[in-house]
Amino acid sequence: MNEARTLNLRVQKAELISPSLKHVVLESADRSPLPSVGAGSHIRLSLCENNKKFRNAYSIAAAADDRSAYEIIVRRVEPSRGGSAFIHNTIKAGQTIEADYPGNLFPPSFTAQKHLLISAGIGITPFLSYLSYLRRTQAEVRLHHFCRLDELETFRRLLQPYSTGEVYLHPNSTKIDVANLLQSHPLGTHLYVCGPEKFMETVLGAAKTLHWPSSKLHSESFGGSHAGGAPFVAVLARSGIEVKVGEDQTLLEAIEAAGVEPPSLCRGGACGQCLTEIIDGRPEHRDHYLSPEEHNAGRAMMICVSRAKGNRITLDL
Amino acid sequence: MLSPTIPSRPRYSPFALAPAARAHLIVAERSDALENQSVPTGDHAPLEFWAVSGDCRAPVGDTILNGVHTCHFRSASHLLSRLSYRLAIEAIGLHLYVIGTESFIWDVVKLAKQFGMNSDEYHLTHRGSEKRRVYCIHCKTMTDDVTTNIAICAGCGANLLVRDHFSKRLSAFMGVQVDAEVAGEVPAIEEVYP
Amino acid sequence: MNIAFKPSETFRDDFTYRNSDDGILRFPFPFAEDKYMYSVNIEPHVPSGPSPAYEHTFDVDEHYIAECRERAIVLEQDPSRCKVLPHMMAAQWDTLELIMESFARDYPRHFSLEKDGAQWSWKNRPLGIEQNFTFGDASTLPFEPFEYITRQAQGDFTLQDQRENNLFVDGGMVTTQADWSLEFDIGMTFHEWHAPVPLAHEIGVFDRALKFLLRLQQEQPVRRLNWTMTVNPRLDTSPENYPAWGPDRASVDQANVAQKVHLRVELQTLFRLPRSNAILFGVRCYLASVEELARVVKWRKRLHRVLRDLPEELEGYKGLSRYRQMVIKHLAPFDDDALLSKGPQPDQASV
Repeated sequence: MNEARTLNLRVQKAELISPSLKHVVLESADRSPLPSVGAGSHIRLSLCENNKKFRNAYSIAAAADDRSAYEIIVRRVEPSRGGSAFIHNTIKAGQTIEADYPGNLFPPSFTAQKHLLISAGIGITPFLSYLSYLRRTQAEVRLHHFCRLDELETFRRLLQPYSTGEVYLHPNSTKIDVANLLQSHPLGTHLYVCGPEKFMETVLGAAKTLHWPSSKLHSESFGGSHAGGAPFVAVLARSGIEVKVGEDQTLLEAIEAAGVEPPSLCRGGACGQCLTEIIDGRPEHRDHYLSPEEHNAGRAMMICVSRAKGNRITLDL
Repeated sequence: MLSPTIPSRPRYSPFALAPAARAHLIVAERSDALENQSVPTGDHAPLEFWAVSGDCRAPVGDTILNGVHTCHFRSASHLLSRLSYRLAIEAIGLHLYVIGTESFIWDVVKLAKQFGMNSDEYHLTHRGSEKRRVYCIHCKTMTDDVTTNIAICAGCGANLLVRDHFSKRLSAFMGVQVDAEVAGEVPAIEEVYP
Repeated sequence: MNIAFKPSETFRDDFTYRNSDDGILRFPFPFAEDKYMYSVNIEPHVPSGPSPAYEHTFDVDEHYIAECRERAIVLEQDPSRCKVLPHMMAAQWDTLELIMESFARDYPRHFSLEKDGAQWSWKNRPLGIEQNFTFGDASTLPFEPFEYITRQAQGDFTLQDQRENNLFVDGGMVTTQADWSLEFDIGMTFHEWHAPVPLAHEIGVFDRALKFLLRLQQEQPVRRLNWTMTVNPRLDTSPENYPAWGPDRASVDQANVAQKVHLRVELQTLFRLPRSNAILFGVRCYLASVEELARVVKWRKRLHRVLRDLPEELEGYKGLSRYRQMVIKHLAPFDDDALLSKGPQPDQASV
């Protein structure tokens, strides 16, 4: 595969838009045009905290038409597993950051006649790019965003460019019947959900109960709930390195911390990029990529989310 | 059962109601399409059966036949006309079932797709003749009801080899001039799609 | 870079198309070994390769002007050879941006692109085109963006929408194809439009290729080669016009086989487009006659071996039946069974 090239970015602006939400504007360090991007795309930033290296993906909430900047919004997560604390505490204007080239694992449907967007909290970020793109098309759009009462104003400001008939804010203080939002949509409607894991389970569960076909359900998880499990040792067969995987880190993170950089992309078990062959040991699969047969065969695994059954596994790395 | 030969050749399945639907609409090329089928009575989502009677004098309009909400149409075109109005006002959760010959099936699917239905929302059952609609790739004319391996194009007179390559969008098989290289080199004509 | 264009070459009627010596040496000969079989054979599209044809994102060569004129003729006779479904407008602009930026960067003598916000200014000197337009506003161009820019590029292009874990060929400019129809195939899925290719489905080539392409990333294009043979240097070997070029196949005899029969190589490139998330598939077509190729010692021997040992199904599918044996008979006396180097490079600096 092509060697991953990286982008050298500089923080143009970084400001808190709510006590736990930071809005960051990134430009190219040499002011050259950034790659064009589409609605739903993300960028992975290389972050460093306590000598631990992280590469976290953030939705590109907005991209300048002239390719001069990308905007992201980051929620401070307590406790920070790495990344959000760095962004909130350390990132300021003028600082340089390395990033991977953007990718897109959550594009809108281009054949949909109507787009129904349902988000909660920080899950709104991909939908900000959707709204910007979709307003230039003929399709109908509806956004229903759920948020904490104390962040209502922040989101209202973010959504100001969009007409009130299209966007609806639901502060958690009022009770909303999600099922009600999902009924009676024309056949050509697609549903998109983004937010914490539990929120998405609720909305997608309601959609399935209301007979939404799976070809019209799209979701991007910001849960980060894949990490964690019993500790184990992963032996990298080609180098002989033995990697201790702690209970609060993923196998991929542990391998990276040991100085090896296997290919990876979505870090969420969906894209297949980190598929690794198993030489010995049994995997505990947590991905959405392999088939049930491939899971049973146990010959390969997604190291970004899956772990080992038992305390030892040997990988072809 | 139609023999699938190449991957563009669609595959059809026996009629069966989808388990998770808000409503079922069955659309059939003949009014006897549900004979020998057990349409489950009782606990399923609302179901309607639309069928072509092919008879100008036959009654049209909604009625209940054998406990099933039924509607008859004078022709396939007549059915498609009402179907387009119906799909325009329908909602997510509708499942569409199409029963008939290939041309009928894909004419209905084309309409369903125009209104935003995807392949996990419609179910296709082949019933009846294997006759093919052939699209002449050279002159863009459709020749209907072809049962032979070679067909004469209704537009430009070419001897067309009726290929298995099928276009869902055109609802037709490709016809290619069989003796383009040496005029007159035409294989024996056989009835292969009865 | 100096390109010696040959604007009046023809790909029909009198077939005046010829390769210069340089054109022969840079030909993307497709055979790295003495035998040919299908494989996914995708590799990164990097600015280097066994021939200069690989060096740029999109290759512009001595035939550029003549090919653009030939494309215009095909489209005049049958406008449906360029068609894009309505939902693919973002992909159209992505394509225009990619081709314009690549041409201007790689061939600054011939193409230039200036931007002032959304106001773009494009110059195509070989074709004598100067166009100011607003990026994103199709009304400011004489054609829709995809047709506009592909009329100024060599080779065919298709646009593939990615949805439902599949790829759908939802648009294309197809005037130099080896026997497939855009009008017929538009809207098909990856497996459907590859349906007529024999053998490959059984060995899972398309399953693996699709899985790979679904993960294709921006800024990481890939490429592969495909090949067939054509009688006369005819670019338009469409099924639509088969009645016009079909008789060519039967016009080959042992006396004219080396001049008439051409190796037709497709350098296929695949790009993930940014705004539409679609895949642009470029099919750049190169033609060289058996006679031209035979001036490269290694190629005339290797071509002989590949054709001699070609599986029967491939002969049928690639349409070689009427003249394959004649080509083999013509090349046989040049083949001394010598060991040839691996890889397709010519191993000689002049012809």
